[in-house]
Amino acid sequence: MHILFETPGGFAIFKVLDEGKLSNVEDIGNEFLTAKSARKMVKLVAFDKFDNTAEALEAVAKLLEGTPSKGLRKFLKANCVGETLAVADSKLGNIIKEKLKIDCVHNNAVMELLRGVRSQLSELISGLGDKDLAPMSLGLSHSLARYKLKFSTDKVDTMIIQAIGLLDDLDKELNTYAMRVREWYGWHFPELAKIVQDNILYAKAVKLMGNRVNAAKLDFSEILADEVEAELKEAAVISMGTEVSDLDLLHIRELCDQVLSLAEYRAQLFDYLKSRMNTIAPNLSALVGELVGARLISHGGSLLNLSKQPGSTVQILGAEKALFRALKTKHATPKYGLIYHASVVCQATPKNKGKISRSLAAKVALAVRCDALGYGQDNTMGVENRLKLEARLRTLEGKDLGRLSGSAKGKPKIEVYDKDKKKGSGGLITPAKTYNTAADSLLQTPTVDSENGVKEKKDKKKKKKKADDEEEPKTEEPSKKKSKKKKTEAEPETAEEPTKKEKKKRKHEEEETEMPVKKKERSEKKKKKTEV
Amino acid sequence: MYIIMPSGRGGGGSGRGLARGGEGGAIRGRGRGRESGPGRVKSRESESGGIKGGSKVLVTPHRHAGVFVAKSKADALVTKNLVPGEIIYNEKRIFVQNEDRSTVEYRVWNPHRSKLADAITTGVDNIWIKPGVNVLYLGASSGYTVSHISDIVGPEGCVYAVEHSHICGKVLMNMAEKRTNVIPIIEDARHPAKYRMLVGMVDVIFSDVNQPDQSKILGLNASYFLKSGGHFMISIKANSIDSTIAAETVYQMEVEKLQMEELRPTEILHIDSCEEKHACVFGGYRLPRKQKADTAV
Repeated sequence: MHILFETPGGFAIFKVLDEGKLSNVEDIGNEFLTAKSARKMVKLVAFDKFDNTAEALEAVAKLLEGTPSKGLRKFLKANCVGETLAVADSKLGNIIKEKLKIDCVHNNAVMELLRGVRSQLSELISGLGDKDLAPMSLGLSHSLARYKLKFSTDKVDTMIIQAIGLLDDLDKELNTYAMRVREWYGWHFPELAKIVQDNILYAKAVKLMGNRVNAAKLDFSEILADEVEAELKEAAVISMGTEVSDLDLLHIRELCDQVLSLAEYRAQLFDYLKSRMNTIAPNLSALVGELVGARLISHGGSLLNLSKQPGSTVQILGAEKALFRALKTKHATPKYGLIYHASVVCQATPKNKGKISRSLAAKVALAVRCDALGYGQDNTMGVENRLKLEARLRTLEGKDLGRLSGSAKGKPKIEVYDKDKKKGSGGLITPAKTYNTAADSLLQTPTVDSENGVKEKKDKKKKKKKADDEEEPKTEEPSKKKSKKKKTEAEPETAEEPTKKEKKKRKHEEEETEMPVKKKERSEKKKKKTEV
Repeated sequence: MYIIMPSGRGGGGSGRGLARGGEGGAIRGRGRGRESGPGRVKSRESESGGIKGGSKVLVTPHRHAGVFVAKSKADALVTKNLVPGEIIYNEKRIFVQNEDRSTVEYRVWNPHRSKLADAITTGVDNIWIKPGVNVLYLGASSGYTVSHISDIVGPEGCVYAVEHSHICGKVLMNMAEKRTNVIPIIEDARHPAKYRMLVGMVDVIFSDVNQPDQSKILGLNASYFLKSGGHFMISIKANSIDSTIAAETVYQMEVEKLQMEELRPTEILHIDSCEEKHACVFGGYRLPRKQKADTAV
């Protein structure tokens, strides 16, 4: 009878020399107490070594599923045909029997045999000492554990943390070098620093021309806009910088090369970061964007650590100094930390940033947990939650408008008179009436009223909500924010709207020509405040 | 505050007596090549539970080889850090400077987190784990106790840590990456056949799985991997086995089940100090019949 024994170094087949002893199960153990008696009991027939850890992992993984690997099958075929084989796993035995037609046994005697072999393993296999087995076992166990945990090298968040650290470092370095270029070249051509504001373009320009006398001959259209180029060429002629030698220019140019290559690398790094973020934390990226997500992970230390934080912590991650200062002095704590730079928060009006930041932080905490601890990686959860958040933002913004223009049920909410209130019309519920000098005009301009009336409506913040409802057939934007913006920029459409009953409007319909200007300005100011 | 004192125990096996740190006297467990006497020189220690910084801490070897006691205002059980500079769970460390100016680092072992530490402070006779032995640990969880056992057995010994859960497994793997004498196995301890190719024969099995069939699990693993004359320790949580009957009865039942598997208990220790209704059973496997049960191997 043969015994199949698996070691971390490979498969071993032993032959039982004294089969008679097998009948007395209890005493089998005694046979293996010393190496000598063990060798009398079993003998090593063949040993199939694993070439490397990868092969070992594959063979063992197959074994765990209950099937023999190719290597094992070949090995058995070569050595065991015609014999009964003692195996540790009866399921494996059945499959070996099926596929290779080798009879397998598994019973108490076999278990005792295996115990014995295991205890004397290093003695029985001459090439494999204890010292050799230990590191093999260690290596194999780690590989097996990683395989079980589906540890994939793609999902290591260390890359993110390092990449974002490098990105920040690069930015600093880039800025330092660019400043240095400006200063250095400024000795030769100081005007250029004011003409070309962008660091990269400056470096490119310097690289192209070298000495400023070349500026006249060269074509800068690829780098600079036409007017800038013209300015440059002009300034090059009348520049008050000193001459510099070619050697100096050479060095300046080298520095420019450095700047440009760093800038290029930074762009590459950013792409790399984005792609890694989408692999490692797709939900987080969908919700706040790759950059903010990476900063959050880096601040938390690791994705797993970040997942352990509650939403309230995520909200003020990055504002710790302000937080603890406020807690100590019993002041109001900060409302946002790193999250402030997320696009959803950027879009909100200052009043709503706090609320949105809190909602966002709650969803971010959920998304991070999905990414860190969940199986099946896609960003559906992040995308859904983002839509929810945007809807909530719209509701929040809409509430303010709705409150002022009145609801379907009752009268609009009238604000309490406060003489010091600066916003809107100051303390006045209705702005002060001033004499409209346009009314002096003798020539009657018939179209003025309706047009201006329409414009009036559209410019007023209060009117926006109702205006929206009216305008929906015309414009396609669902979001009120966008339509607000559109209204500031473009004088919108035709005068199709029916005249609205509105206190102000009624009173001012006559004073159109001068008033609209003033009102527009005021409402523009209002809008600017709310849209920051 | 961890005080090494006997706890008055009613009923249940041999509640052992004093387990005082071996002061000066018997200097055992030199397996790690430690220098002369207890490192008594001024210790510069970092935050240690109850031990204030800067005060003198006396670190003496415990009766159990490989374990040490740190004495100052409050006593603490410590093990010598196998990987100096690394901590696993924000545990406190004690630094002791020797006469030759080298620093030895010890990690504090918290009995509230680790059943083995609890058993030691309660006063177990013999834990069977000492420098150089191979240990199979079933139910390793995140590896807290495993790390301390790895400190005790040192580079010559080996700890096979079996844990089924994936989340704990990840933490265990991280810990094992730093310590080369820990072999992580992410498998169900009910099926030792699945990790037979990774484990050699061990001297001690430590089981902390808290499953209703844990005696059978221990027996099966012992039949695969525990050498004859080897020892075991199993921690029994009465509520895990059967929460309706009295704890004493549960312990008795478990002892009987163990005896059927050729595992002969030599000590039953109630470790109620840190957790309720817990007991630890220590014993031997396939001990030679002629001698009495509590012979140390």
